[in-house]
Amino acid sequence: MRKLWLPGAAVALIVLVAVLAPVLPLMDPIRQDVANRLAAYVPGSPMGRDEFGRDVMSRLIWGARSSLAVAFASAAIAATLGTALGLLGGWFRGVAEFLAIRGADVVLCFPPVLLALLVVTLLGPGTGTLILVLSVLYLPGFIRVSFAEVLSARGQDYVEAVRALGARTPRILLRTVLPNIAGPVLVQVSLAVASAVVLESGLSFLGLGVVPPTPSWGLMIRGARATMEQAPMLLVWPCVALTITILAMNLLCDAVRDLADKRGGGGAPKLRLVDRLLPGLFPAPEGPRPLLDVQGLTVEIAVPGGIIRPVEDLGFRLDPGRTLAIVGESGSGKSMAATAIMGLLPPAARVAAGVARFEGEDLLRMPEPARRRLRGGAMAMVFQDPMSSLNPVHRIGDQVAEAIRAHRDVPAAKASAEAVALLRRVGIADPERRARAYPHELSGGMRQRVMIAMAIANKPRLLIADEPTTALDVTVQAAILELLAELRREEGMGVVLITHSLGVVAEVAEDVVVMYAAQVVERGPVERVFARPLHPYTRALLAAVPDGDVEPEGIPGVVPRPDSWPPGCRFAPRCAFATAACATPPALEELQDQAVRCVRWRELSA
Amino acid sequence: MSVSDGRDAAGREGLNRPHDTAPLVVAEAVEMSFAPRGILARGRPVRAVAGVDASVARGEALGVVGESGSGKSTLGRLMLGLLAATGGTVRFDGTPLPRPGSAAWRGLRARMGIVFQDPFGSLDARRSVGAQVEDGLAIHTTLSAAERRARLEAMFLRVGLDPERLGAYPHEFSGGQRQRLGIARALATNPDFLVADEPVSALDVSIQAQVVRLLADLRRDLGLAMLFISHDLPVVRHLCDRVIVMYLGRVMEEGPVADVFARPSHPYTRALLSATPMLDPARRLTREILPGEPPSPTAPPSGCVFRTRCRHAQPACAEEVPPLREFGGVAHRVACLRADEIN
Repeated sequence: MRKLWLPGAAVALIVLVAVLAPVLPLMDPIRQDVANRLAAYVPGSPMGRDEFGRDVMSRLIWGARSSLAVAFASAAIAATLGTALGLLGGWFRGVAEFLAIRGADVVLCFPPVLLALLVVTLLGPGTGTLILVLSVLYLPGFIRVSFAEVLSARGQDYVEAVRALGARTPRILLRTVLPNIAGPVLVQVSLAVASAVVLESGLSFLGLGVVPPTPSWGLMIRGARATMEQAPMLLVWPCVALTITILAMNLLCDAVRDLADKRGGGGAPKLRLVDRLLPGLFPAPEGPRPLLDVQGLTVEIAVPGGIIRPVEDLGFRLDPGRTLAIVGESGSGKSMAATAIMGLLPPAARVAAGVARFEGEDLLRMPEPARRRLRGGAMAMVFQDPMSSLNPVHRIGDQVAEAIRAHRDVPAAKASAEAVALLRRVGIADPERRARAYPHELSGGMRQRVMIAMAIANKPRLLIADEPTTALDVTVQAAILELLAELRREEGMGVVLITHSLGVVAEVAEDVVVMYAAQVVERGPVERVFARPLHPYTRALLAAVPDGDVEPEGIPGVVPRPDSWPPGCRFAPRCAFATAACATPPALEELQDQAVRCVRWRELSA
Repeated sequence: MSVSDGRDAAGREGLNRPHDTAPLVVAEAVEMSFAPRGILARGRPVRAVAGVDASVARGEALGVVGESGSGKSTLGRLMLGLLAATGGTVRFDGTPLPRPGSAAWRGLRARMGIVFQDPFGSLDARRSVGAQVEDGLAIHTTLSAAERRARLEAMFLRVGLDPERLGAYPHEFSGGQRQRLGIARALATNPDFLVADEPVSALDVSIQAQVVRLLADLRRDLGLAMLFISHDLPVVRHLCDRVIVMYLGRVMEEGPVADVFARPSHPYTRALLSATPMLDPARRLTREILPGEPPSPTAPPSGCVFRTRCRHAQPACAEEVPPLREFGGVAHRVACLRADEIN
């Protein structure tokens, strides 16, 4: 609302002054006074007089009337008509589409000045003619914008939902489609108004628009040009008026668009803060060196309300050839933890504390170039959505070869041969032919196999897979998980698997970390944790899986947002076993090979 | 379940279901082909649904399972009448569905509802949730604004949402709550038939169970006929009475859920079940990885559409389309020539 106030007031003031011109105490804008020709200042004329001795301020305000009337009227006509045509064309397609789009194309074929000349020749110059010309000129823009927006909106589920409710077409178009295409159309309006003011000036300047002596900004500029050297200010005034009006219009339209957009969000500010890590706080573990050893990992994001911690004090260790699963609901921080370990955090987030030792070396304190050498080499990552991670314009064989050559100095031909071998390795039939395919020519399962081929191209010792099978069908998921298990067995690769599917964890992982609201709530070997969960959250999560004969039981409520975590145990508000003792934050209690964060776990598992 | 044979169907239904009523929605040999559109379009039409029989009675939940491209969502839209079938018929309450867009069709919308998969895309981000749930009432009833408001508040309470939040916008709700909003919108006009198209697939497992429970309660309390489309077999097992397993537009197997899950008889159903991750190692089936990729729906294999990936396939499977026939139990039917040998 606040954003709307300033530009709204500015536009309102400009319009008000123009509308009130007849009642304002102004001099007659067309009365000539040759004695005061080009005077810089005359009492009653603070902006001076023009080449015929007419009052500049009066002409500026009266000129606003014609300039703005032309601009608003033509933008409004073009917007109404163009949006309507675009709506109908996009919704009904067929003949309506043909008429709207081809009609717009025909208009676009005419150079604007030529079109104006033609119309002026036919109808004679004047304000009405100008409005007509400008409306026709802006029409194609509105048709195109609204047509494109309707096409993308009509495929949305919410439009289908209203249709399924039996709404008539006008209702769907006006209530559902129109508000959703309003944003771009409003932007187009602001552009049209702004450019109409300019074009009006231009066409009037050429003598094709407003007819003298009626004042308009364009005519004022035209008149001032002849006497530019004697009275430069005459040129400045209408230009300043133009600039301010256009700026105010643009700001207003932006504000209106933001206001009309109820989707919320706003986004966190993009801040990259200096990494202030404290080295040496975490002792290196004893015994055989683990592949990956994470301790006290904490990620912070600065948001307008303060600092939130999407990952807090995360710790686990992974040995070579094993799979560790991180599970939790959306918003538990599991993906953020993985990106922090890989050094791929979004710019707003930063690691605030902790270590992540990969074969003894702390990834979090490593300079970026060193980390980059590891990424895609000794450690690799597979993401949930293979389509957005593959480059759509390159053949997949080339992309895999590129992944090889990014880390090893091999000739292109050898890399290509290796790429084909990798594609075969991940179970792609006919790899020689498939290597020449583009990502869109492959199914989702095949694309995920390509992603895995790229990830294992340089024989990584650690693979971090973030929901690698979530977007896939179960039969494809089974094949991908089988492939990962095979690679792990044969290459001795360690895998960190991030997933929300407890079934997947049960089938492929040896160890599991259960996260809730940024914290580890339970950790241990999968068989033990799933057979005898110690934390009420783990229990509730397992009970929610619709597997077995017992009716699945949901967990009431949702994961709290990072800016409103409960003061004590974060799960307490949703926990069936919460008592007064849960008001103090529980510590992660380390048992022999399990860990649990619950004050009541002993009595609950008794 | 097919009702192509009326006598047969009546016999089965009596045995099979406690809610002993005539089917409310009946699809007979429905087909849906999508032709390539546009002047320059080339290529063969895609046959998304190829001759499927299905029926749902009041108070009954029919599960439709299958993977992407199996035609399960298209079947749902055909039974709702949102798409006009290119072959076969769909009858609702005894009469064939009218042409989409006609006045009769619009009137019928009040008696059917749909819940979508995507809790984000299925709500209009720019309108208040109250206005969206109210749409059906505004379109189909002559209730006053105050009466509509009262119905709306009751509906919100029914699906477990706070009526205070009628004026809020979708982004202020969590995924599970949005799905509840979608259910409230579909049920506002008190329909008889509800199609739920993967309503819980996008939700966390802890939230899934809540929404499934809500759907089960609503079906029982309102006596809804429900078509539950899902790729998640365990959820179907808990919510539905009967299940249809689809592959490439055809029904592979159908029957009471308990039967189909205990004795999956089609090789595809078995592969699907074996691929479903299970918590309890004891319940796991030996995993069968399907070789190759699903064939293109523009050029489905001859005979049995599953034969290209089936390890039991024989030359005979390419010859004829296997008919659905009774196998291993009442109303349990399988479309496999070799069902007897391989089971």
